[in-house]
Amino acid sequence: MIMKNIDLTEKLVRKCMSLGADAAEVFLETNRSLSVNVLKSEIETIEEASSQGVGFRVFVDGKMGFSHCNDLSSRSLEDTISRAIAFARLSTPDENNVLTYDKGFTAVADLFDPGITAEPMEKKIKMAIDLENLAMRDPRITKSAGAGYGEGESGIFIGNSNGILKTYKSSGCSIGVSVVAEKGDQKNTGGEYCTRVFFNDLKPLEEIAAVASKKAVQLLDPVMIRTQKAVIIFDPDVARALLGGIIAGINGERVLQGASFLKDQMNKQFASELLTITDDGTRGKSRGSAPFDGEGVPTARNVLVENGVLKSFIYNEKAAKRAGVRSTGNASRRGFSSLPGIGTHNVYVSKGEHTRNEIIAATKKGLLLLEVTGYGIDPVSGNFSGGAGGLWVENGEIVHPVKGITIAGRAFDILNGIDMVGNDLDMTRTNAAPTFRVAEMQIGGK
Amino acid sequence: MKIEKISVRDIPRRRFLELSMKGGLLIAATPALLARLTSCQRGSGRSSLPDMDKEMLSKVIAKALEKGGDFADVYIENRISRQIVMEESKFKSGLYGISQGAGVRVISGNKTGYAYTDEITGEKMMRAAEVASYVAQNSAATAPVSISETTRPSFVTVLQPLGEIADEKRIEIIRRADQAALDYDPRIKMAMIDYYDEIRSRIIANSEGIYLKDELPLLFFIVQAMSDDGKARHMARERLSNHSGFEMFENVAPETIARNAAREAIAMLDAEDAPAGIMDVVMQNGWGGVLVHEAVGHPLEADNIAKGIGAFTGKMGQKVASECFTMVDDGTLPNFRGTINFDDEGTPAQRNVLIEKGVLKGFMTDILSAKQLDMARTGNGRRESFRYIPIPRMTNTYIEKGKDDPADILASTPKGIYVQSLSGGSVNPVTGVFNFTCRESYLIENGKKTKPVKGATLIGSCMDVISNIDAVGNDLAFGPGICGKGQSAEVTAGQPTVRIRGINVGGSRA
Repeated sequence: MIMKNIDLTEKLVRKCMSLGADAAEVFLETNRSLSVNVLKSEIETIEEASSQGVGFRVFVDGKMGFSHCNDLSSRSLEDTISRAIAFARLSTPDENNVLTYDKGFTAVADLFDPGITAEPMEKKIKMAIDLENLAMRDPRITKSAGAGYGEGESGIFIGNSNGILKTYKSSGCSIGVSVVAEKGDQKNTGGEYCTRVFFNDLKPLEEIAAVASKKAVQLLDPVMIRTQKAVIIFDPDVARALLGGIIAGINGERVLQGASFLKDQMNKQFASELLTITDDGTRGKSRGSAPFDGEGVPTARNVLVENGVLKSFIYNEKAAKRAGVRSTGNASRRGFSSLPGIGTHNVYVSKGEHTRNEIIAATKKGLLLLEVTGYGIDPVSGNFSGGAGGLWVENGEIVHPVKGITIAGRAFDILNGIDMVGNDLDMTRTNAAPTFRVAEMQIGGK
Repeated sequence: MKIEKISVRDIPRRRFLELSMKGGLLIAATPALLARLTSCQRGSGRSSLPDMDKEMLSKVIAKALEKGGDFADVYIENRISRQIVMEESKFKSGLYGISQGAGVRVISGNKTGYAYTDEITGEKMMRAAEVASYVAQNSAATAPVSISETTRPSFVTVLQPLGEIADEKRIEIIRRADQAALDYDPRIKMAMIDYYDEIRSRIIANSEGIYLKDELPLLFFIVQAMSDDGKARHMARERLSNHSGFEMFENVAPETIARNAAREAIAMLDAEDAPAGIMDVVMQNGWGGVLVHEAVGHPLEADNIAKGIGAFTGKMGQKVASECFTMVDDGTLPNFRGTINFDDEGTPAQRNVLIEKGVLKGFMTDILSAKQLDMARTGNGRRESFRYIPIPRMTNTYIEKGKDDPADILASTPKGIYVQSLSGGSVNPVTGVFNFTCRESYLIENGKKTKPVKGATLIGSCMDVISNIDAVGNDLAFGPGICGKGQSAEVTAGQPTVRIRGINVGGSRA
């Protein structure tokens, strides 16, 4: 099957050229997926599918066209390629329309687990049911919102007219649960899931269940606080609220367009020296890793921010050519039907020296932030505003839960305000950060 | 599984790409068949899809119910899409997509089995039926009714079919918008224009005997304009979308859309920090309706009610909102983006009053949740494509117009925030806690809209917000959006100008 798809990919590159493309890239993808949802110990849904599809990126006179289809009959493929070529002719020439020549292949260990399929369906269903029951054990948990198990396998095949022909396969499985805690008129939900490349690496069900129920009950009986400025301690679960804006802000294409709050910050100290951020597409056993990126460029480990100094923007081939640099291996692709964009693999904030308890103990008045809603940092304007929930800290101790408040600030103030970083980094996440503290942010309350 | 955070949001372009390309499209394509498909027939309700062999579909449905089960259906879809993106006055990409497939579903009690295939052949659909039937093992069997042609009214008219429009005309629309945005003000540094159209053809057959087929054309036009004056930057957005032919651009010129985006981008350059804390909010008519879409609409979808966890569980017939608040979901508004003729289970679209003068009157159901709750089917069973099972979704959802003059609403509000447009937001449908991000908003001082303020988050809970709406204008208007609930759906949200007392605003100053 793999050989057949490699041959097909190569054949389709030639087909693009014979139909009139000056250069062409073929991205072929095969997928298999299974998902099971259970509710109250009964199966709610079972969904299963295998699918495939191919996307064509063609260049004609420096102009680009793209088309995709999921029907791999030869007549349909030919028609789809012709559509891309016709579309390209209508486009604007761009000297930055280039395809990679890099035949390299980063060695990344353990991206595929053949054992997932071997596990019987009954076992997977039972795991979801057991997880739901475990999460319901706490008497304060009154209802289940369901538990689920999901798995997938995919094969990626990239070929281009520069002679590139690469493939790899990957797998993933995940299990999770969501529960509701009720007390009087109060209702709170808590959920937790675990995603891994290997089936046997999934966390023990007890551990996942305990986190889900803790999240549901820990914000019961909140106390409304006043509108004020205070310390904010970011839990690793909500680090994404800040990381996401930084990642969008160092997107090389947006920087070139002037649409980033970090556009003028290269090699400058824009954040606290406690902040170091790395993107690593090469880490083994990670869902974010791959031997090459969405257009075939080998992946790498890139330091993005070092001690608060911006060290690297992230690029795909097109944005890199325009910026006069090399691709950083950050072409991201959301399947065969999309053009390569720019994205990260496994981003993490380097750990600091404090325990989480030390950070809380050192806080006179502030919020241990556990939930954030909203879009995080706006990557264009650099403003941050969100809904928030968490635990209120006074004189180094947690005193009560807080819900229904807002937090806001300017990204530069927030990032420069990081004054303590924890040592509790969990590297199994694709967006990982330890607990960290920001000296002051605006809180909106009563 | 997580509780899906349900959102209507700003669509980052890449995400939009993904959403728009996920579709399905019927047809084991021969070139001749494809040519027929791409040319959408005049009018609507007709489909250029060839009829499927009904005998074969009956066999697939029988196979799906072979092990037992109450209900089975087959959904066959094809989607032909075009997307053209311009950034920095250059065509960044032109995309053409064909997506096709068929899904087979079996419902047995509360259980749903689902499998789909990219290949629309009898053999593959029989295999999907077998996989989907797994959930019905050892349950009582239902004999399927033999399928026959069924018709439904159409609320979509097409004057200029998308399949007959040359790509050059699409490009012309984009160029006009780009030029208009840049001409508006020298501080507009860039426009990003995203043109998308599709023709989605559906065939639905089920064990109750229906066989339905139609096609829905869709246009979605988004202009983003970025301003930069050396001190501040703002990315503004305006959107236009209809289920219609290309005549949409004769009714609303692309320049109008572009200038609206540019106006917002320039106005917000002077934005000051927003105040933080609980205050009164006046929301201008139009896309602000996304607030009730999120805060109230999602919690009124029947799936979480059937699970017994939704925020409105057990509240039917009770007073849940203030007297001036009536909320409707209507999938039949002519050519609207959320209009569907019939839902993706074949149930006719209709006007559903959800909350009438503050009293809870209805939930939005699909076939499964209607059966679980012993309620009527409301025509809200929708799916993103053949790759997904149908779930209860909104269509065109709005606050019914009231009696107040919008100018009076503002004038009678001494202090607060005037929200002219929202980016989008999300809700937890179990707790009803929502959040929104303001796109363009102003301070209200002494009953007047004054200085622009930076995009703040608004938060609250659905029960509070509908109780705290105390003024409803007479100026109902709508805006288009993409709603996400694990799968995406095209919707509109609408409202007249309203005032909500006591919302928490996430500003960055006291």
